[in-house]
Amino acid sequence: MNVTRVTGINKIIRSKAFTLFALLIVLFVLFAIIAPFNNGARFITQRTIIGILQDIAVPAFLTIGAGCLMVSGAIDLSQARIGALSGMVVAVAIKNWQLPWFAAIAAALLISALIGLINAALVNELNFQPFIATMSMSSVVYAVMYLVATDKSGQLQGVINYKSPTVALIGNYEIGGVVPVSVVFLVVMFIIYGVVLSKTKFGKTLYLMGGNATAARLSGINSKKTSYFLFINCAALSGISGVLYSSRTQQGSLLALANDQFTGLTAAILGGISFGGGSGGMGGAFLGLVVIKTFNKGMTIVGANSYLTSVLSGSLLLAALSLDYVSQRRQRKRVGI
Amino acid sequence: MERYLEFAGVGKAFPGVQALDDISFRAQSGRVLALLGENGAGKSTLLKIMSGDLRADTGSVILNGETVSFTSPFDAIKAGISVIYQERQLIPAMNVMENIFLGDLPVKSGLIDAKKLKSDTKALLEKFGLSIDPEIPVMFLSTAHQQMVEIIKAYRRNSQVVAFDEPTAPLTDTEIEILFKLIGQLRDEGKIIIYVSHRMAEIFQVTDEIVILKDGKFVKTLNTSETDEQELVRSMVGRDIGDTYSHLSRNDSMGDVLLEVKNLASPYVRDVSFTLRRGEIIGFAGLVGSGRTEVMRALFGADPVLSGEIKLDGRSVSFKTPKDAIDSGIALCPEDRKEQGLVLWRSIEDNICMPVLSKLRKGLFLDTKACERVALSSIKRYDIKTPTVDKIVMELSGGNQQKVILGRWTSELMDTKILILDEPTKGIDVGTKAEIYQTVCDFAKLGIGVIFISSELTEVINVADRIIVMHEGHITGSVTREEATEESILALAMAQ
Ligand SMILES: Nc1ncnc2c1ncn2[C@@H]1O[C@H](COP(=O)(O)OP(=O)(O)OP(=O)(O)O)[C@@H](O)[C@H]1O
Ligand SMILES: [Mg+2]
Repeated sequence: MNVTRVTGINKIIRSKAFTLFALLIVLFVLFAIIAPFNNGARFITQRTIIGILQDIAVPAFLTIGAGCLMVSGAIDLSQARIGALSGMVVAVAIKNWQLPWFAAIAAALLISALIGLINAALVNELNFQPFIATMSMSSVVYAVMYLVATDKSGQLQGVINYKSPTVALIGNYEIGGVVPVSVVFLVVMFIIYGVVLSKTKFGKTLYLMGGNATAARLSGINSKKTSYFLFINCAALSGISGVLYSSRTQQGSLLALANDQFTGLTAAILGGISFGGGSGGMGGAFLGLVVIKTFNKGMTIVGANSYLTSVLSGSLLLAALSLDYVSQRRQRKRVGI
Repeated sequence: MERYLEFAGVGKAFPGVQALDDISFRAQSGRVLALLGENGAGKSTLLKIMSGDLRADTGSVILNGETVSFTSPFDAIKAGISVIYQERQLIPAMNVMENIFLGDLPVKSGLIDAKKLKSDTKALLEKFGLSIDPEIPVMFLSTAHQQMVEIIKAYRRNSQVVAFDEPTAPLTDTEIEILFKLIGQLRDEGKIIIYVSHRMAEIFQVTDEIVILKDGKFVKTLNTSETDEQELVRSMVGRDIGDTYSHLSRNDSMGDVLLEVKNLASPYVRDVSFTLRRGEIIGFAGLVGSGRTEVMRALFGADPVLSGEIKLDGRSVSFKTPKDAIDSGIALCPEDRKEQGLVLWRSIEDNICMPVLSKLRKGLFLDTKACERVALSSIKRYDIKTPTVDKIVMELSGGNQQKVILGRWTSELMDTKILILDEPTKGIDVGTKAEIYQTVCDFAKLGIGVIFISSELTEVINVADRIIVMHEGHITGSVTREEATEESILALAMAQ
């Protein structure tokens, strides 16, 4: 028998990325048509594109972290709060502790990573479900933020403003006055993680763990080490999101990233990384994120009110999930289970 | 009215394979019909079409003269067709009576009539002579009892057709007897029974006629009483395979001691001691649940070792994780392929390369060419039926899935000193079985120590050089191949 691989055009068309790309084009066309009705606004402009990329920057790192974890079959619900804490630490470190900017950022990322380590320990040593462990951790992190944000007089500062032109550059500097440096950074990160997931032994390991953890362990895959790495990685990346947010707003805030609490997760799912793990990839997750932010941007430009935006973006998620469900069902049906 | 189930020109294609091609035959009521064929011949696919899990591309299924067409398993059940698969289709946390009456619970004034439910269940269980507590959640039952519950459930639904897909694989000999008695009872009541199994002895014991499939095509129907094993194998495989065991080319030069296990205890076994030499094949026999698998898991670092000593090449070792064991040259091909063996939704290639990924690197990256090569060589060695190396394992037939696990643990990159095979021939067809026995002997010739666990007595007795017998978590005896008889092994297995 001639044993081969599925290749070529068929594989591309069947892939999730292709579907998302199509969806993205549909969104662009739709918004381009509707936008002029809102006082002659235009959707397809350089400003819109850059704007969308700007909006992507902060949740991009949440998406990468969440995506890797989810491929391996785990989840982290403390992402947004870790990010908020990270931003808060930057603000407090610069304003109150008088640390230089790099030390402030290092401290923020270190603390984020540390929380990831605790998450990993809860899951691997005490055998908590990732869902439970990280959800509880989310509350704990919120409490820690309170402590950090409370000044000597015992006064809680929900928002701490600071001034650091250097830190501000991280989030705002535009190469050649056009392309934000943060966007370049996120694209590079997506590519690196994408390559790691799809081309390395480590990446393969994640998919096998996500597909069947027991079988992976019995086949000599060091799931525990991998799990530790993934939780720490996810938390540290959330920390980067927080730093970026803080750099742009020049403040630490209890509510930072609150809007993006589930963005990383949603983008990953939209992109084909299923809840149970074992499938999907970074390309899909990136496109998923672009779709979400394009949608939000479009809604602003066409002048939809925020309620409508909220309802429709919820529907978008539902639609994505049901698409996922349908395709999984079709797959199962093909197998006869 | 004559009662029968007929397949008329049934065909089904999957990407790259014609799984069924113009299948036509008839199963009569009051008879047990065996479906026989090599791995991937299309038996399970035919049952899945019959039960509404899959839809045929061509042809039809006819029940008592009427063409039936199902869009879901639910339709098939309503029409009186039940299939008992190897995977249980019960709700684990619900008790026996709820499972049996699921979808049709007796109701009295809006509430479940618990009294009637219990008495009806009791009556059914008694009818088949089963002593199962109707109020126990099915997850606490043995595999055998769960299967019985499923059969009773099918019976209760008044199924006219009951089909079994390799039902005996997880059962002990006594349990198999009970199953056969049940099947006999169903047959005597005039049910139409279809029975799929790779175990020849069973085919002769329970069936009345045999339909043979090969590569998705109908070959012939035979009367069980008028045929013999040789004829069956010839029509199924397409050639004579002769006497499997006497043709084995064995290893006749054993080396020094490779593995020494002394007084090993884990949460599931105690006081286990044995030695394994280079080039030796040790068989482990015993009833299902006698602790054979658990000994191996402890050895492999998958279960904790409470006390005792393991010496590999004369050096004391203790493995914290399976990875440590693999790094020291131990390979364990697990018994439960769905739970512990396969990553079902990943490709054949991924599944085969799993334990050797670190040897498949080119710089920072995985060497995809090399991965493919390793996978292809296993596919070839075990004749895994697949059109592509990246087919997901879920889409393979049961026997071919088993071959993938074997392929993984015996792939060319494995650096194995000790090969542990736990029920390696589960669900594998007769032709391939013979090849697997030879492969095992070939490994022994290379100086690898092999541990071969099997519940099929004939198999262990004939393949292993020495057979260790276990009972309730400890070793009750050890006999050489020359001295071993089925009776002597059984006596040790029951600790008589
Ligand atoms: N869902 C599927 N997608 C693609 N191919 C499939 C699917 N299900 C079965 N096949 C293919 O159809 C063929 C018949 O499979 P089937 O499971 O019916 O074999 P079988 O006779 O039951 O074999 P076994 O004895 O190994 O259980 C095989 O080549 C298998 O790979
Ligand atoms: Mg089958």
